[in-house]
Amino acid sequence: MAAVLSNPIARRLLRIPPSYFVFLVLLATLWIARPNMLNLNIMGIFIRQIVPLGILVLGQLVVMRVKSIDLSGGGIILLINYFISSGSFPGASLPFFIVLALATGLVIGLFNGFMIGNRRVSAVIVTLAVSIILVGLVQFLSSGNPPGDVPKLFNDLYNTKFLSVPTPVLFWILLTALVWLLLSRTVFGRYVASVGENAEAAHFSGVPVQRTVILAHTLAGLIAAIAALVQTGSIAVGSVRVGLDLPILAVAATILGGVVFGRGDGGVWGPFFGALCFALLFVVMTVLGIDEPGKLIAQGVIILGAAIFYGVRVRAP
Amino acid sequence: MHRSLFNILSGRNTRQGLWGLPLLVALLISLWLTVETTQFATAENLFNLVAQAMPLIIAAIGQLVVVLIGGLDLSVGSVISFTTAVLALDQPAIVLIPAVFVLAAFIGLINGLAITRFNVHPIIATLSTQYIVLGVTRILRPVSGGTVPEIVIAAVSGSFLGIPYPVFWGIVVILAAWKLLYGSRYGLHLFAIGGGIASGAESAARNFGVADRRNIILAYVVCSCFAAVAGVFLAGRIVSGDPNVGLLFELDTVTAVALGGTQLSGGIGSLHGTVIGALVMALLANGMNLANVSPFVQTAIKGGILLAVVGLQSRKKMGL
Repeated sequence: MAAVLSNPIARRLLRIPPSYFVFLVLLATLWIARPNMLNLNIMGIFIRQIVPLGILVLGQLVVMRVKSIDLSGGGIILLINYFISSGSFPGASLPFFIVLALATGLVIGLFNGFMIGNRRVSAVIVTLAVSIILVGLVQFLSSGNPPGDVPKLFNDLYNTKFLSVPTPVLFWILLTALVWLLLSRTVFGRYVASVGENAEAAHFSGVPVQRTVILAHTLAGLIAAIAALVQTGSIAVGSVRVGLDLPILAVAATILGGVVFGRGDGGVWGPFFGALCFALLFVVMTVLGIDEPGKLIAQGVIILGAAIFYGVRVRAP
Repeated sequence: MHRSLFNILSGRNTRQGLWGLPLLVALLISLWLTVETTQFATAENLFNLVAQAMPLIIAAIGQLVVVLIGGLDLSVGSVISFTTAVLALDQPAIVLIPAVFVLAAFIGLINGLAITRFNVHPIIATLSTQYIVLGVTRILRPVSGGTVPEIVIAAVSGSFLGIPYPVFWGIVVILAAWKLLYGSRYGLHLFAIGGGIASGAESAARNFGVADRRNIILAYVVCSCFAAVAGVFLAGRIVSGDPNVGLLFELDTVTAVALGGTQLSGGIGSLHGTVIGALVMALLANGMNLANVSPFVQTAIKGGILLAVVGLQSRKKMGL
């Protein structure tokens, strides 16, 4: 095993994020099982469904680069969906909701960041607790029943197309490019990389470690708010369940994309393909007639497999 | 005397963590409930409380073992649901009960191996098994139903000398855990490994001749087995298999452990603290039920408690 891993070609291959391989395998499976599904229109619809996840992944990968994790996305999505669909703000316009959503995400992200960066509380615990508080709150406010409808404009925007590609998909690619620029071309990006590599060394080199972690979490909260807006547009109704499994899927997609705690080999596009893998996975499983429990098992196996893939590689000399 | 009392209350300079304060909180809640409501301080309600708290106490003790070595097991809830589903499989009890523990140990083994041999972060490893086990549970039993063996039901619903069986479950489990943590070499090693990990010297225990990998794997096996005991107890209470009965149990156990003064970074914590932590959670639930608080708000309050308790613990490491 060790000899294989130290082989230069094998090491080279292990550097490529697993998401690319998985993506190709799933594409091949689909091509064999249902070749007629591989056209732009059908795939566009499937990929459009995964856009909220894809956006959430962008925040997840930033916090995972600084050796943290954010599981509060589900709560943020639910809360923003409630704000928009409950009719608590009668006659509010689209810009108002966007500002409200972004402010909500910002505040929750800042709180996460403060607790994790300043108070040094375990990130898993903080973000999970924040999530269950938000979920409990929304379910209480709506007494467990789905709230009302979402203003029609949200769904109309979601359904637009540009050059036969759904706009949400283009929006996702644009955001991914922005995060890519942020991480590769700015000082903040360098800070994130150095904190992830070695927080202590970064601290002694003058990197504001605490501020970087807080900022990363604030950014993740903001991105979760954007994901919430897209998700609300996609389902077009209020819900007390929407998006609850998205944070875990986002972690899975990020690991699959070659970004594990503190290591960012997969960049931004690895996790991008990680999210695409889940789009394809759901299609393949639906085509093969595998239902909900099978999907849960597949998710678990994929997370574990990708993590072991990286664990083995880190161990290799 | 004054000094040691202060130490107990503040949890300073001790390997047991801060457990005096939660005890005080538990007493205060009980006092408040006794004064506020007439139903609280009746034998019936108190025995009921013990029975309600028992699954959490049992599962939290398992979680404690893993937390002591600086880990975390998020698959506890799934293992509990899985256990009830397996018990409702309509096979003889002589097959089912051993099977439940073998399967739980196997899940713990996978967690432990992934973490120690394949270098996977405990949270990621147990998160994956949480999903896999939940998926298998839903295949076995998509909705709640089936009946568990007669003996399991009898083991939780009877009483002896006027004391209901759940009380004896508690005594047996706590005694077993006490022996494991404080009366065996294994327990000592757990504290040693965790103390090393918490202070950043991950190989400290190994350098002193403690087999750290094997003990860490064993800790996850023990945690899963305790979860299985909790599952058997719950199965007896609800008389059927339920794929959702363990939902959010992983968070409740972590809250109970943290409430009991155990440091999540490892090495510092106590069995009595954990039991008190679980009792505080049960008392709160009991009190909120008596006060007619909405279950959704109860969930939110539990989250708030978790946040507050963990926020008060100081640790060196930032992030996960």
